[in-house]
Formats: sequence, structure tokens, C-alpha cells
Amino acid sequence: MKFVPAGVVPFVALLLLQRRPVAGRALLVTGSGCPSHGLCRSNVQEQTRRQVAMLNATAQELFSLYLKCQGEPFSSEADKLCNPAGIFFPTFRVNRTSERKEVMVAMYKLFAFLNASLGNITRDQEELNPMAKELLERLHNTTKTTRGLISNLTCLLCKNYNIFQVDVRYGDSSKGKSAFKKKQQGCQVLRKYVQVIGQAARVLLPHLSPS
Amino acid sequence: MWESSSLRCLLALAILCLRSLVYSQEIGSLGDPQNLKCVTHNLHKMLCTWDVSSRGRRGQTDFCYATNDLTPQVCFKTKERRVEIPVPESSITVTIKSPGTAFATKEFVIHQKDISFVPATPHILSLTPDFPTSTLNLKWSDNGLVFPYGLDALWQIQILRKEAMEEVTQVTYYSKLTHEDIILSWNWTSDMPLECTSHYVKIRCYINATQFVGPKDWSDWSPAEVIPGKDTEPGGSGVFPLDTVVAVGSDVTFCCVHEEDQRITNMTYGSKSYTMMQLSSRSHAIRVLNASASNSSGTNVVCRLENGMDGSVVFVGYAPDIPQNLSCETSNFLIIKCTWKPGRPSGLYGERKTKYSLFERISSKNVSCEVNEMNRDRVCGFPVLPDQKTYDFVLDVSNPIGQAQSSLLVDITQRVHPKTPEKLTVIGNNSTSIQLRWFINGSFAGIRLLCQIEIISGHSEKKLQNVSMTGGKSSSYTAQLNELHPNTNYQFRVRCSAADHFWRWSDWSRGVDQTTSEAPPSRGPDIWRERSPSGESLKVFWKPLSLSEANGKIVSHEVSCFLLETLLEHKVVTEPSNSTEIKLGKSDCIISVVAKNHAGSSPPSRITSVELPSDNVTTDQAVAMGNGINISWDSYPDMTCGYTVKWCRSSGSEPCIVDWQKFPSNTTNAVIKSALFKPGVRYNFSLYGCKSTGYQLLKNITGYMKELPPKTAPNFIVEETSSDSILVKWEDIPVEECRGFLKGYLLSFAKGEKDALKPRLSESGNPELKVNNITDLTKKSMKILDLQGKTSYQLELQAYTAGGLSPPNSLYVVTKEDSVGLIIAILIPVAVVVLLGVLASIFCYRKREWIKETFYPEIPNPENSKALQFQRNICEGNKTLKTLEMNPCTPNSVEVVETQSTAPKIEDTEMMSPAAETTVPEDGSDSEMENHVVVSYCPPIIEEEISNPPMDGPGGSSQVVYIDIQSMYQPQIKPEEEPDIDLVTTAGYKPQMQLSISALKMEGRSPVEEELDKTTGYRPQANTSTWNMGTPDSPGSVESNNENASFGSPCSINSRQFLLPPKDDEDSPKPINTGWSFTHFFQNKPND
Repeated sequence: MKFVPAGVVPFVALLLLQRRPVAGRALLVTGSGCPSHGLCRSNVQEQTRRQVAMLNATAQELFSLYLKCQGEPFSSEADKLCNPAGIFFPTFRVNRTSERKEVMVAMYKLFAFLNASLGNITRDQEELNPMAKELLERLHNTTKTTRGLISNLTCLLCKNYNIFQVDVRYGDSSKGKSAFKKKQQGCQVLRKYVQVIGQAARVLLPHLSPS
Repeated sequence: MWESSSLRCLLALAILCLRSLVYSQEIGSLGDPQNLKCVTHNLHKMLCTWDVSSRGRRGQTDFCYATNDLTPQVCFKTKERRVEIPVPESSITVTIKSPGTAFATKEFVIHQKDISFVPATPHILSLTPDFPTSTLNLKWSDNGLVFPYGLDALWQIQILRKEAMEEVTQVTYYSKLTHEDIILSWNWTSDMPLECTSHYVKIRCYINATQFVGPKDWSDWSPAEVIPGKDTEPGGSGVFPLDTVVAVGSDVTFCCVHEEDQRITNMTYGSKSYTMMQLSSRSHAIRVLNASASNSSGTNVVCRLENGMDGSVVFVGYAPDIPQNLSCETSNFLIIKCTWKPGRPSGLYGERKTKYSLFERISSKNVSCEVNEMNRDRVCGFPVLPDQKTYDFVLDVSNPIGQAQSSLLVDITQRVHPKTPEKLTVIGNNSTSIQLRWFINGSFAGIRLLCQIEIISGHSEKKLQNVSMTGGKSSSYTAQLNELHPNTNYQFRVRCSAADHFWRWSDWSRGVDQTTSEAPPSRGPDIWRERSPSGESLKVFWKPLSLSEANGKIVSHEVSCFLLETLLEHKVVTEPSNSTEIKLGKSDCIISVVAKNHAGSSPPSRITSVELPSDNVTTDQAVAMGNGINISWDSYPDMTCGYTVKWCRSSGSEPCIVDWQKFPSNTTNAVIKSALFKPGVRYNFSLYGCKSTGYQLLKNITGYMKELPPKTAPNFIVEETSSDSILVKWEDIPVEECRGFLKGYLLSFAKGEKDALKPRLSESGNPELKVNNITDLTKKSMKILDLQGKTSYQLELQAYTAGGLSPPNSLYVVTKEDSVGLIIAILIPVAVVVLLGVLASIFCYRKREWIKETFYPEIPNPENSKALQFQRNICEGNKTLKTLEMNPCTPNSVEVVETQSTAPKIEDTEMMSPAAETTVPEDGSDSEMENHVVVSYCPPIIEEEISNPPMDGPGGSSQVVYIDIQSMYQPQIKPEEEPDIDLVTTAGYKPQMQLSISALKMEGRSPVEEELDKTTGYRPQANTSTWNMGTPDSPGSVESNNENASFGSPCSINSRQFLLPPKDDEDSPKPINTGWSFTHFFQNKPND
């Protein structure tokens, strides 16, 4: 399933930045502030909610398929091999009672990180598993959805809170690592993603529900 | 380490010195220089050493040597006991004068054979590891400069592993010295990753100087060079090798290097655990034998430590297969496209995938091929080089496991596969020709092109037309197509190839449609004519022209009628009519029909209206053979202009749609085919012969495309029936319903009642079924004979054709009764009965004495009396005959009423007393009194009578009611049978115990009554007054003194007189009654 970003100005620079797997500061918009008009379309809130719901719905399947495609013992010993304790993952310490602005910023950080990590994972799997078409398709779709989600969050942050700059930290690049480390890193990120996306969906939905 | 090496060197030197001593020639005495030994390392200089006593060890030694007598002696002083002097060609004389002793001078003669040759210790220049391939590269110098050219050198290399320096392998490397210092290189691939543990390398040499006659030996080992393992690095850890690629079937060693304080639990390859070998305190290894192909993401090797996991991936695949079916061609003379099949998949992907490169030997040009792993066919492009027609391609294939190649030599001008022609258009058009133009992208300037044009039209088969043309550079090409049909829609498409050296056709271009313009019809229409039944008008028919003949859309037909060049009538009939009527009267003319379209008129078609008389026209039958109706005729020599077969296309009652077909005069048969012909429909054909003067009807033919069974059953009726025959008549089936030529009828009959559920006769399996096949179609009736009278018969009639049987029509007929037979059947039994009766009467009459004596003697003997037995049997209703026993029989009273013409109703009455008998009825009728008799009777008989009441009417018969005498009530009967009791009548035999009371008092009766008695049936024939009434067992009747009881003797209820009077009846009392009873016939024996 493809999601077209609901109507945001195409922030090319922003999206390019989000693909960069390095730590840095993501510029939400070019220039020194939010554009005065034409930033968000009417259904952006609803579409954001759906995008999060969709990611939440597909995360576990993506993780399972990823494990299956890496060979043994990834499927049987995912707990040990994919323990995300050793990797960086953005903290997500918001809950339903958190302020909406705080939630939106945390979401932005989370999905910016995920977008970059998914890009790395996709690239590694294209190299390691070029025949695993389904996995690659799911990775591509998930990456596209996070990209659209980032655009929508960008627009909501700018429109509602006039936030146009958020500090984002990205994970380590897997480039140059051994094949096993690439597999393991992807596994660790996706496992954490499965855990966090569920929490994000629960937290975000009340804030995006039509009032 | 270095200390150890130095020590070794010193030790080696000492050994050499000792050996020199062994070979040196001792020429002095004790205390003098002795044990002179010489060793050479390079065959030019030799090192000589000697021993001296302790007295001569201080100060300088004078050392002189001379190689031969001709050369002057060379002397020099030395403080050491070793000198380096040239290696002599044969021998050398050495003089050594020790210090401090004037006479301690020694002279030695050293021959070449006494000199040892030990090469200098080799020096390892470099030892380089390649970790991904686990390969060590060793480099050293051969020091060849000091040796003569061409000496063989042997190098012994030792590989050691682990801290304990366990020898792994020792190899000997061979080289030839070239009188130059050459750096030699040697690679060794370890079966264990170099990271797993430290590896050491040492080298020594042996130079085979064949012309040197002295002893030769290996050099000393070089100091060991080491490649330290990861287990020696602080913090070094991991699973090795990393991301290695190995061939399927290889044996691979994996090791896990960890920290000193970590404990390894196990190691797995894929999902399988392997036994570990300890390499060091920080390194363990497993060995996987015969590795199988891994999946695309490789096989994981995992090392499990107490506090974590580490791993590596190994990719196990195949070396590339030799490319198959390598083929190169060009589509545009700009790029040569080479294709091949990769063969067996390597199983390696991503950066490990198989790589292809195309090398052209003539031009030495190489291109790298980007291929899609997913395609079965691989494609690689190579640019066409100017002025080069022949290409010698080598396709190199490689992956981390191996490489392969395939080659192909091609002349590119013979491998032209043009691209698909584009922009196909029609640029010129008339009724019979079209000009096409198309474009081909490519530079074909040097060759000729052959293009093929496919022409498809609606009414003809696909045609291909080849056109050859000079090739151009990305240019358009044109072609003219002629001999096309007017007004025809064509579809064209084009493909091209090289004309001179055909290789492959291009793909077909996109098709274009074009319709040619119209032209006048190519011929006149096929025409026919028919006179109207009245003969006043002529109807002209024509068939539409085919598309190929019409050359356009026919808009009208012009019909003209000429009589000797004079136009009698002219008509223009517009489409879509295909006939017209011309009023001719009785005259004739020549009819001309012309078809017209927008482009012009067809040539005229002509036919004469004259119809020649014909006689003896026969009608034949014809049935389709195959897909048409075959019609044949005799040859008619005078039919000069052919024959015409005409028929109606329509069927049945539809109006006739005339169709016809013309045949040349030499034809004698034709198969008439039409898609409109239906099976089971009769078609009438007429054959006309054509003469110069007109047409003549020759014969008629009726035919079927296929014969079917008649649709309906024939109607039939029964015209007449008798007791043994039925005359059946039927009607013809209408032609439309015959659906074939009628062959006959099947008349089936069998006995049978009308029953709706009965199956058809033919299906019933009735064994009495008879079938008459009537093949004479003129016969319309049939008489069925030999039937039984008054019997129901089922008749079925079916018609049949060659196609089968019609449905049956059924009738049920009952034959008449056979009256004569019936009469005979009745009369014969009656006659027989009468005859038997007469015979019995005669017999009885003649034997009456015997009968009387037997059955009714004067004094009945109960033991012998059959009559009594009979009577008793009746009373008891049972079993064997016995002598008369009176007790069991309890008489009942029976009231007998004899009906005369008035049929008075008999009422159940009580047993009438004599007093009652005397009671005169109101009407005073005596006859009624006569009929009212009460007798004693036995109940069982009564019951029989009741249970079998006669069905005849009461007229002329007596009604009998049996009443229990003792109980004085009627025998018990069922209530529902009660009414019948009144109707009980006794038309025939009556119980003879019934005795009229009045008859016992005859004396008191009037003559009239007597006369009446005589005439009113039978009376008991016994003289009751003479009967013995004092039988002790006789039942005490109600009135025991009454003499009317006639127990023990049968008597007629009506009889009053013996039928046959006894011969000697003078003594017997005369019977008073004059009635007759059959039983009295036997009783009437006097004195019996």
C-alpha cells in the first residue's frame, strides 16, 4: 500500500536529510520559519493517524519476515541476537497524558530515526538478499510510509506549534560492517521498532483523533 | 627472539668449524696449527679456520697460501684463527706460522673436495597476510648474483602455527639462479583464517652446484617471520573468516576469538553445532566439511559466549558456469548486442555476484557488462567500431570462487537483426494498388534490406510480399503493392532483415488498414426466370455478386427485356431486391440484367424467357450424401448451353425463395449444397436443360438433406369389427410431417385392456404381440384376422422412413361376442345334465325296489338305512355314517310357507299349534293355510340355510323360517342378517321332515282343500299315522301326543303323495296327501 503524503509542500531538502544515517539536526523547512500558507491539507491529521496505524499493523510481520530471510539462528534466537540494548534508539518517553506538542516532537524524532534506519536496512538487504522480493517490498513500503509520516508531522508541527527545527539523532551506519553485523543491526532496530510503534500508535491516536 | 637466533647462528658456526676440522688436513705436530677447515658460501671465497695450542694463541699468525707453483705465495698476518681466501680450482697450499714459536709453522694442502659448500642463510624480505583469503605472501632474495648462472636452488619453507609453533606444513620451492639477485615470492593459503592464531614462516636453501666437488649442504633456517593472530591483540575478538566466499563442497575452518576472561559455550554453522578445537586461550575453532550451498544472505556462523554472541557469514556457492549460446548481433550498426545463457546459477548475489566483461581481441577493447540477475538471458552491448566488420569476442565471467569464458567470432554484417519498422503509413491508393512507407532506426548504409509485407484482406488468405531495397541511415523505405482487389479492406504490416545474409527478421510493425477504391463489377449477375402460373408475367431472379466480383457496393440492377433488339421493358431495381417481375403476356423475350455500383456497370447477363414443352417428366428421389444432395441425370445431347437445377430454398408452407445452380452441358450430376438445407425437410428440385431456343424441364427431384423419423403418428380408425377380425383404416401423413420418404407402416396388435399406464406395445414385451409390416404405401386399410371374440385388443400404427419410426398411434378395440359358440357352450352342458337326469331317472325307476329296500324299507333298519344315516348326518352335520340315534337330534320347528303368484310375506311365527292351524285367515284363503306348515327340524341345517340365502327373487318359491321348537324362538343370527331371514326361500329341495299339520287331519278337510293340496306342490309322502311314534328317544315335543312329528324320515315339505305308489300297498295305510316328494320316491315302498 502506498501513501502519498497528504499534502505538504515537498520538502526535498528535509527528506534528503532524513535518509542520511548520521546524527545531526534535521531542518524541517528551508528558510528561517514556517511557510505562511499552503503547508497542510485538510486531512493531514487523519492521514497521519492512519499512517501510524498502518505501521503498527505491519511492523510485526516485517520483523518476522526479516528474521526469516536472515537464516538461522536469527529466527530461533532472536531474543539474544536482536537484543536492542547495545544500539541507539531514540527515547520515547511520552504517554497519553503528555502534551500534544511534546508527543509530536517525540514522534518526529522517532520516525526520522526510523526512516534513516529503514533506509540502511533496505540497502543492506538489497545487497544480502536481492532475491527476497517480499521483504524488500515491505521495507520499501515501510520506508515510504515513514517518509510520508515525517512530512505530515512536519506540517503539523509547523502549523500548530510553529516548530520548524527539531534535533534528531540517527543511528550508526552499517556501511563497512560485516554481513553478520548488518543483519544483526537491522534485526535490533526492527525489534525495537516493533515495540515502540505500538506505543506510538497508542499515544498518538488520541492526539490525532478528530475532536 | 633475536637472542635465540644469534645463539643458533653461533651454534651453526661452531658446527661448521668442527666439520672444517674434520675435513682439514693436519700437517703439523702437537702445538702447531692443526685442523684447518675451509667452508665456502658462494663458491668464490672460503673461510678457513684452524686450531692452535695454547702457546700459540697470542700474537699474530703469519698466513701464506699459494694456489700453484707459478703464482707467487700470498702472505699476511692475522690475529684470528680464521681467514677468507679464494676457493682454489683444484688445490691450495697454506702455510701457517704461529706466533712465539720459531718452528711452529705448518703447511696444509687443501683440495677442492675438502671444501664444504653451505649457502648463506636466506633472508625473508616480507611476509604479508591477506586475511579475507587467509593467504600469506612470502618474499626473499635468492642472492643469485654471487653464484654462477644457471644453478638450481631449492628453498625449503616451513609454516608453523600457534604459540607453540606447531609445524603446519613444509614445502620446497624450486628456482634457478640467474647470476642476479632475484626476489622470489611464494603464496600459501591457510586452511584456517589467519586471524584465528599466529602463523610463522621460516626458509632455508640448498644450491645444487654440480661442478663443485666438495660436500654441499642446506643453509641454516632463516629467522621465523610471524603473522600474529587476533588472539594476540588486546581486545581482539570476533568470528573469522568474515564474509568469506567458498565453493560448494569445501572444508572451512571458523574460529571465534574472544577476551581472555570470556568462556565460549558453543559454535554453530547454520543451525548445526560443531565440536570446537582450542587454538589458544582466546581462540577456538570449528571445521565444517563439505559445505553446502548457502541461501542468498549466506550461512551464519555464530559463536556463543557466556555473555553474548558474535558471528560471521559465509557465502557458499559455485564458480561461474561457462556461458552458453553466446550470440552477437546488431540491430542498427551502432551497438553489437551479445546475449548468452548463464548456465548453472552461482548462488552468489550482491557484491559476490558473477561479473561479466566482453573483450574484443582484434581491437583489444574491453567492456564491462551490467547484467540483470533476474533475467534468464544476459545481454551485453559492444560498440560497433569503424571499419571493423569481424569481431572476435571473449566473454569473461568471474565471481569470488572462479572464472570462465566463452568466445565468438562474428562478421557483424551477417548478424543483422533490424529493429521493428515504425511509422508504417499508406501514401498512395487506387482500386488495385497501394503504396506503403515505413521507417527503420539504424544505419544500414552498407547493406541491402529485405522487407516482407503481410497483406490480409477480408475475403482472401494472408499473403506475403517480399521487397528488397538499399539500406539507408535511419531512413524511410517505400514499397508499391499491386494486383489488389477494388473496394477491399486490407491490413498491412512490415518486417525487415538483411537481404544478402539473412539472420533474423525484425518484429512485425504495427498494422495499418486501408480500403482500395471501387471498380465496376467484374461480371454480370447469375440470373434465372420463372413464368407466373398464369403465364402472363415473368419473374426474373439474380444472385448477388461476391465481394470480389462486385468491386464495390452494388446500388442497383438494371433489367431489360429485348425482343429482336427491341427493348420491350427496362427496369432499375435498387438494392437489396434480387428479383423483379416483367409483364410479358404470352410473348417471350431475351432478358438482360446488369449490376451497377458507384464505379460503373457490370457486363450484362442474359437469359431467354422461352420455356420449351416437355413430356414424361419423371420425379426422382434423392438423399444427401455427405454435405449436399446428389442429383444426377442422363446426358441430353441437344442441351447445348448447359443445365440448371432450380429449387426452393424455403421449406414447408413458407413462400418459395427460388435458388438455382447452373452447370455446363457436359455435366450429368451435381451435388447441391446449401447451408439453408435442413434435415427432415423435403426439397423439390427441377432440372432444366438449356437449348438455343429456350429452357426445357427435364425432370423433378425430391430430396432430403437427411431423413428423419416421421414427426407425427399416422391417424387410423377401426372401420369394422367382428368376433374374430378388425378392419383398420389409416390416412397418409402430411408431407411436412413425414420428414423423409415414407417406407411403410408397422401395425402392431396384442390383447390388452385400456390402461393409461400401459407402455407402448412395442415396448411392452408382450409375447402375443404381432406386427404387420405394410410396405405397400397404396394400401390404406388392413384386416386383422384370427382374433378372439369379445376380447380387448390394443392396436398401434407407426409409419417409418429411412430415418426411423414415427411415434405410435394406439387404439383399443373389443371384438364382438361369438353367439353360436355361446349357445353351444350353454346348450351342451344343459343337454348333458338333462341326459344324465333322464338316465338317473330311468335307473332309479328300474331299481326302485332295490332303492326302496336299501334306503326306505318298510321296517327301516337303522343300521342299514342310508337314508337315516343321511338324515342323521344332516342333523349332526358331521362325520361318519352311523345307525339312527335319535337322541342327539333335537328337532326344531320349521314353518314352511309356499308362495304362489301373490308371494305372500312369510312372517316369523311361533310354532303353530293344531288349534292355530285351524285358524282361518281373514281372507279365508285355503292355500295360505296349506303353505303354512310347521315341522320339526334340526338347527344346523337352519344355519346353513341362513348363511346361504338364495339370491333369486321370491317369486315362485317357498319361504322357509326355521324356528327352534323347544325354545320357540328363531335361530340366533347376526343382526345384519336379520332382514335376510324373511327372504329365506327354498326354491329346490326342501327338508322333508316338514309335515303339514293340516295334512295329518285330512279327514276333516273339504274336497276343495284336497284338490288344492294336490295342486300345490309336494307333501310328505309318509303316512305319519303309521309311523312309530313311541320311540323312547324321540324328543318330547311341545305336544308329545301330536302325531305330526315325522322324526327319522325325510319328507318333502310340499309333497302329499308318493310319487311311485307301492306295488302291494293294500296293507299300508293310504296316504291322504296327494303331493309328491323326491324323497317319497324312495320312501314309497310298501311295508317297508
